Amino acid sequence: MKQLSFDVVVIGGGPAGMAAALSAQEQGAKVAIVERNAQLGGILLQCIHSGFGLKYFKQELTGPEYAQRFIDRLAKTDVQVFLSSAVLNLTPDKKVTLSNENGVFVLDAKAVVLAMGCRERTRGEIKIPGDRCAGVLTAGLAQHYINIDNECPGHRFVILGSGDIGLIMARRLSLEGMKVAGVYEIMPYPNGLYRNIKNCLEDFGIPLHLSTTVTRVIGKRRVTAVEVSRVDEKLHPIPGTEKVIPCDTLLLSVGLIPENELCLKAGVKINPRTNGALVDNDLQTNVPGIFSCGNVLHVHDLADNVTAESERAGASAARFAREGKLPAEWTPITVKCEMPMGYTVPTCIRTRKRAPIFFRVRRPLENYRIKVQSGDDVLLLCKPRDYKPSIMENITLPESILKKAGNEITLTMEPA
Amino acid sequence: MQQYDLIIIGGGITGCAVARELSRYRLRVAVLEAMPEIGAGTTKANGGLVHSGYDPKPGTLKALLNLKGCLMYPMLSRDLGFRFHKTGSMVIGFNEDDLAYLEKLYRQGLENGVPNLELIRGKRIFELEPQTSPDAKYALYSPHTGMVDPFEVAIAFSENAAANGVEFHLSSPVSAIREEDNGFVVTIPEGELHATYLVDAAGVHADDVARLAGADEFNIIARHGDLLVLDKHCGVQNLMTLYPIPSKETKGVVVMNSVSGNTLVGSSAEIKEKDDNASYQEGIQQLIAGAVKLAPNLNPRKIIRTFAGCRAVVENNHNDFYIRPSKKVPNLFYVAGIQSPGVASSPAIAAYVAQMLRGYGVPLEEKEHYVAERKAPVDFSELSPTEKDRLIQKNPAYGKLVCSCECVTEGEIVDAIHRVPGARTIDGIKRRTRAGMGRCQGGFCQHKVLFILARELHCRPEDILMEGKGSQIVFSKLKEGR
Repeated sequence: MKQLSFDVVVIGGGPAGMAAALSAQEQGAKVAIVERNAQLGGILLQCIHSGFGLKYFKQELTGPEYAQRFIDRLAKTDVQVFLSSAVLNLTPDKKVTLSNENGVFVLDAKAVVLAMGCRERTRGEIKIPGDRCAGVLTAGLAQHYINIDNECPGHRFVILGSGDIGLIMARRLSLEGMKVAGVYEIMPYPNGLYRNIKNCLEDFGIPLHLSTTVTRVIGKRRVTAVEVSRVDEKLHPIPGTEKVIPCDTLLLSVGLIPENELCLKAGVKINPRTNGALVDNDLQTNVPGIFSCGNVLHVHDLADNVTAESERAGASAARFAREGKLPAEWTPITVKCEMPMGYTVPTCIRTRKRAPIFFRVRRPLENYRIKVQSGDDVLLLCKPRDYKPSIMENITLPESILKKAGNEITLTMEPA
Repeated sequence: MQQYDLIIIGGGITGCAVARELSRYRLRVAVLEAMPEIGAGTTKANGGLVHSGYDPKPGTLKALLNLKGCLMYPMLSRDLGFRFHKTGSMVIGFNEDDLAYLEKLYRQGLENGVPNLELIRGKRIFELEPQTSPDAKYALYSPHTGMVDPFEVAIAFSENAAANGVEFHLSSPVSAIREEDNGFVVTIPEGELHATYLVDAAGVHADDVARLAGADEFNIIARHGDLLVLDKHCGVQNLMTLYPIPSKETKGVVVMNSVSGNTLVGSSAEIKEKDDNASYQEGIQQLIAGAVKLAPNLNPRKIIRTFAGCRAVVENNHNDFYIRPSKKVPNLFYVAGIQSPGVASSPAIAAYVAQMLRGYGVPLEEKEHYVAERKAPVDFSELSPTEKDRLIQKNPAYGKLVCSCECVTEGEIVDAIHRVPGARTIDGIKRRTRAGMGRCQGGFCQHKVLFILARELHCRPEDILMEGKGSQIVFSKLKEGR
C-alpha cells in the first residue's frame, strides 16, 4: 500500500470535480482528482447534445466539448489525476483510500472536495408493479448504450418522467430511427426545462401525457407493453383509466439522487430535503475540511451552474488546506425555508459580506415573491415573478441584510 | 447418448442440495436446469430466512426437516463457504389474543423439538432488538433462526457437487421423458440423455415433469409472494428477524436483515399462475404496512427493489413437502412441494432423499475421494486494505471496480463466469457477485457487466441475456463500421 499527501483531494472527475480541482490549484494548492472511469468528464461524456456552456463560456457546446475545455486546462497544471480509481473509504480525518490496477493507495489530504455527482432513481424506488423482464432501464443507461457503446437497447420506447435526460433521450432515440410512443409524467406539469420540451418533444411530434403514470410492466422475458393510468390530485392511479401501450423498452427519467454513500463513512451530515450534505456558505460540510459541490450536493439543472459552484468549493478547500481552518468572524446564521420552497443551499451562513443562496420550488408558482424573515422581521421582499421546479433559482443576500439577520433567517415564497 | 445413473431435474436449492448429497457416492449424476443459471426459479425469489422450526405442524415432514436443516446450517456454511448469520428471531405479539397464539406456537415448537425457545415479554424484547415497535408486549424468541443468501447456498451446493463429478446441463428444459432399457430417456435441447433413476425437483413445474414421465399423481399450485429490498441505510439496521402473528397461509410479513446488510420485507401470499414473477401493488402495500407495524423506524422510501416469486404447493397434501417415490412409475422420485421453509430444510431434504433412495435399493457406495468443502469466491469488499492491495498485485483485474454501490471488481465477475457451473447472464452475475444489486440497480454498471460477459464467453453483446431466453439487453450495433 502506498501513501501520498495532498493539500486538496477531489473525489470525482466530472464537471464539479474538474472545476473544484482547477480552482484549488489556482490558489496554490497541491491537488489530486480521483475518478472512477478511465477518462475525466463524468456524465458529460455521454451528453453529446448541445446546450452546455451558454452561461459559463457564452457559447453553445456539447457535453464532451464542455468537458474537454476543463480536461485541457487540467493537462497544463500539476494536478495529479487518478483514473480508473475507486474510492473505497473516506475518514473524518481526511484519509482517502482508493484502489486501481496498481494497488491500494491512501491519500492523506488537508481538505477534501466531494464531487461524486448523482445517480438516477430506479424502477425499484418508484415501485412500478408488474413483470420483472429485460427492457426497463434508466435514461442515463440507455444514453450510455447508444452514445458510448453503439448498442441498440430497444426499438419502441415509452418514457416515464419528463426530466431533462428523458426528454433529451426522446430526441436522441428519434434521431437514431427508434420510435418513442410517448412521454408520461405523473405530475400535472413537465419536470424538464422548457427548452427541452420544445426542442426534444414538440419538434419531433412526441406526445407528452401529464398526470399519467406507468402502473404495470408487461412481458415475460422482455417488455412487450406497459400499462399507463391517469392519476388524481393525490397522484393515485384512477381505476378505469388504464391503457396498454405496446413497446419493447421502458425508459425511466424519474429523478436524480446525490450519490452520498461516502459522506456517511466520513460522518458528513445529510440534508433529507436534498439528499446532499448540509453545507455552509463556503460549501463546507459539518466535518471541517470536507467540502461538497455539484450534483452530489444538490441536483443542478445546468452544468454551468455546477462549474460555478464547484469553483467556490475548490477555492474554499484550498484556503482551508493553507490556513488549517476557515475564518469564523461571525456567529453563524441558520438558514431555514418553508414550503413551497423545497430547500436551500447553504443552510448556514458564516459571513456578513454577501451570500448567494440556491433553492428550488416544489411546484410551479405564478406571481410569487421571495420573502426573507428573521423572527417576525421581514428583511427582504423580492419582486414577484413565476417560478418552476425544474429551474434552480438563487438569491444573493447583501451585507445590509446579513447584518440584520440575527442567528436565524427563514425564506418563504408568498403570492404577490 | 450420454449415460447417467441418476438425473435430477431442477437446479434450484433443492435439486442442488440433493446433487451435492449424492455426489458422495459412486453414481454418475446430472442436474438439468431449464434456465441458464442455478437457482433461477423459486430459489431466487426468497428472503433467505432459515426458520428454526416451531411453525410447521408437528408430525409433518416439514416439521422434521425444517428443524434438522436449520441446525445443519452453521457447520454447512463453514464447509461450503457461504454466509450464514445466526440472527435469532422474535414473533411479536401486541395483545392478549396474540399471547394466546404465541403460547400455542411455543408448545408446538417444543413438540417439534426446537431448542432454546423462550416466551418473553416487556423489556427483554427491546434488549434483544431495540428497533422493535414500542407497542410490542410479548414475543416468542428463537435464537437458532438464521439468514442466508438462498442463491449463494444453491450455488455453493452446485459448485461442490460439480467438484465431485456431478454434471450440470443449464438452459436445458426437459421436453420429453420416455421409459427405455430399465431407465429413462430424457430429451433436452442438446439431445437425449439416459438415466436409471430420475429425481423430480422441478419446483412449480414438478407436476408437469411427472406428467412427462407418464405419472399424473399430483398437482402443484403456485403461491405467489412479493418481497421488498431496502437500502442498507433505511432507518433500521442489523435487525433481528421479526415475525408477526402468522396468518393461515404464511408466516405473515417478516422483516429481516439480509446477510449483505439490506433490510428485506417478505412476503405476501396469493395463489397465481405458475411462473408469475410479477410484483403486485396490493402485495407491496401489504408488505410496507406490515413492516412498519413491526419496526416503525423503517423508511419505506428507501425501498430499492421489489421482487416476487412462486412457492410450489402440492394440492391436497396438507401444505406439506411431497418427497416420495412415484406410485406409478418405477425409479422416479419426487422432491416436490418444497415451499417455505424450503431453504431452511434443503440440507435435511438432501439427506432424507439419500436415505429414501437407499431404502428403495439405489446402490449408494461412498466415493474414496469425496471433497466435502468448497472455497468461497473472493469478496473484495470484505478484504482489508492490505489484503486488497496484495490481491491486486497478483491480479490487476481486482483493481478495476465495476459496481461502485456494492464494491464489486472485474476480478470477481470474471471468476464468477469461469467457476463451474459458471454465471452466464446479467442476473447470474448479480446474484453471485452483487454487481447491480445496490441502490443504482445497475444504472452505472450493467453495460460494463454486459461487455465483460460477452468478452469472456466469446459472444456478441446481443447474445447476453438478463436471464431467460428472449431477455436480451441490447439488440444489435446501432451503426456498423465503428
